[in-house]
Amino acid sequence: MNPVVLPRSLFIALGFLLSLALLLSLALGPVSLPLLDTLNGALRVFGAPVGGAELDQAELIIGQIRMPRTLLGLAVGAVLALAGVAMQGLFRNPLADPGLVGVSSGAALGAAIAIVGGASLGGVPEAFAPYVLSVSAFAGGLVVTALVYRLGSRNGQTSVSTMLLAGIALTALAGAVIGLFTYLADDATLRTLTFWNLGSLNGASYARLWPLLVVTVAVGLWLPKRAKALNALLLGESEARHLGFDIERVKRELVFCTALGVGAAVAAAGMIGFIGLVVPHLVRLLVGPDHRVLLPASALAGAALLLFADVVARLALAPAELPIGIVTALIGAPFFLYLLLRGRA
Amino acid sequence: MRVSVRLASLCCAFVLSQTVLAADTLPQRWVSAGGSITEWVVTLGGQGKLVGVDTTSLNPADLKKLPSIGYQRQLAAEGILSLKPDLLVGSEEMGPPPVLAQVKNAGVTVESLSTKADLPTLEHTLGRIGTLLGEPSRAANAFADYQQRLKQQAEWVSAAKAGTAAPSVLLLLSHAGSSPMAAGQDTLGAWLIERAGGRSVTTHSSYKALSTEALLALDPEVIIFADRSIAGAEAKAALLKQNPALAATRAAKNDRLLAIDPTLLVGGLGPRVPAALATLGAGFYPAAQPLTADAKPQP
Repeated sequence: MNPVVLPRSLFIALGFLLSLALLLSLALGPVSLPLLDTLNGALRVFGAPVGGAELDQAELIIGQIRMPRTLLGLAVGAVLALAGVAMQGLFRNPLADPGLVGVSSGAALGAAIAIVGGASLGGVPEAFAPYVLSVSAFAGGLVVTALVYRLGSRNGQTSVSTMLLAGIALTALAGAVIGLFTYLADDATLRTLTFWNLGSLNGASYARLWPLLVVTVAVGLWLPKRAKALNALLLGESEARHLGFDIERVKRELVFCTALGVGAAVAAAGMIGFIGLVVPHLVRLLVGPDHRVLLPASALAGAALLLFADVVARLALAPAELPIGIVTALIGAPFFLYLLLRGRA
Repeated sequence: MRVSVRLASLCCAFVLSQTVLAADTLPQRWVSAGGSITEWVVTLGGQGKLVGVDTTSLNPADLKKLPSIGYQRQLAAEGILSLKPDLLVGSEEMGPPPVLAQVKNAGVTVESLSTKADLPTLEHTLGRIGTLLGEPSRAANAFADYQQRLKQQAEWVSAAKAGTAAPSVLLLLSHAGSSPMAAGQDTLGAWLIERAGGRSVTTHSSYKALSTEALLALDPEVIIFADRSIAGAEAKAALLKQNPALAATRAAKNDRLLAIDPTLLVGGLGPRVPAALATLGAGFYPAAQPLTADAKPQP
């Protein structure tokens, strides 16, 4: 295989876009801060002794609200896009998204159990409530994905198409159980569930950020190691096997990385659609199917897109806030249609 | 001697400064979340201090001119802070908790008040709002008046019940007449029915859609309808048109369909509850003299 030739201009462009997104995410919000205050506030967050008491407000807004939110957006966007690449590579289908192996519906089921079950048990203690929801969503995603993987495997061989069908069946099943919980829920619980399904970076805090950051870094380091195997998979499974790749192991790793990454992202920010589907697609259009480029480029683009979407989400209706899932779908769905129509022409 | 005088004057000065401070430190810019809490703030004279409300604060209507901070359970810290409030007051449903913590960290007082439908809770809620407004006696009077009106209502109901049996009542919450949801036992709707002298016919909890057959089997004598998108006679016509089976109930045959404002059904005991109870009671017992002059039976 050829040594990887990174298209430098693409990465410069993506790096620029991501920097711009980071800057906007730190600088823009319903509270308008002068640019200089934003800079000084950010410096203060990192411990630089600048300015006086007049910067306290800026430091608080940047340090406690915008910084954790920006980091959350960065991690969620990157990990969803990476998982999207892994799934589209595994299923050899550009329409695959991380939801196919059941991780999204499993997480939604976990969340429904936590929200509705928690409410009907008289509520979990206030301090634990967000953690119960996150842990339950994460566990739900992992369990359903593991089931899908088990159903797709026979005699040590994993059939991707069986896995796909098992994923569809378990998604439908999870949907039915979520529907039942929706029916049982009271009004207030129902709204919590609805909003959770639309995703949000609102209320991000460092305490809930670290697990996701660790997972994102791990997945971001691990998946590129399997880029060559993903490239070989494009030729077909048996071809990849003949090229000397341990395909069963690669499949296992891809599914595990997806479940871990998407599970952690969903647990931290709720359901955010379209990043995992549209971003890898978009990047593939720009740079072609070489996963050695596709993986890092998608991570950068996913993070940038999610941060831009979040800036829109927090400014569009300020001082209220749009769930970010609405914004990503508003951007993603028309773009996806455009891709479909373009392909037909 | 001199020392003690000095000490005394110091103490005096301190106490004085504290009282002055207390008046000064009353929150001047309020953000309120939760329909009934906001209504009470307005009732106790705090409307001028409100700089933002949530999407459930719909009464009085001119609150809609204020910036909206979104739904009370999905507040955003920065949006609230951009209004530069001194106080965020709201129901206990207000959240999510991390956002409340962020708002608190920014130096805004956060006051979560219970909206449970009972009088001790209401007394506490009114007391807190009154203190924060610097109007404790006005709040105490409002509570005493409220308590009095509920007591009169209860007496009126027991007098009316002596003459006739309590009517069976079903409360339906619908959207432009379609897909009505029936108020279950644990809802504020059922609470209102009981206090107005009726007997709620449902046995389920929260709001659930009922099948046509179940609706007919309940056969309520009175139907209360709350419509989220249209009001009055139009809502009544829409409800009967969308749900033809209702026409076979005793309530429809005797034209005993009463309207209620759906915003009364969420967020606990608001200031409009006693008047609504009197109106409902007048509808339940058309033969009895209404409790108040404006509590005339619905047309």
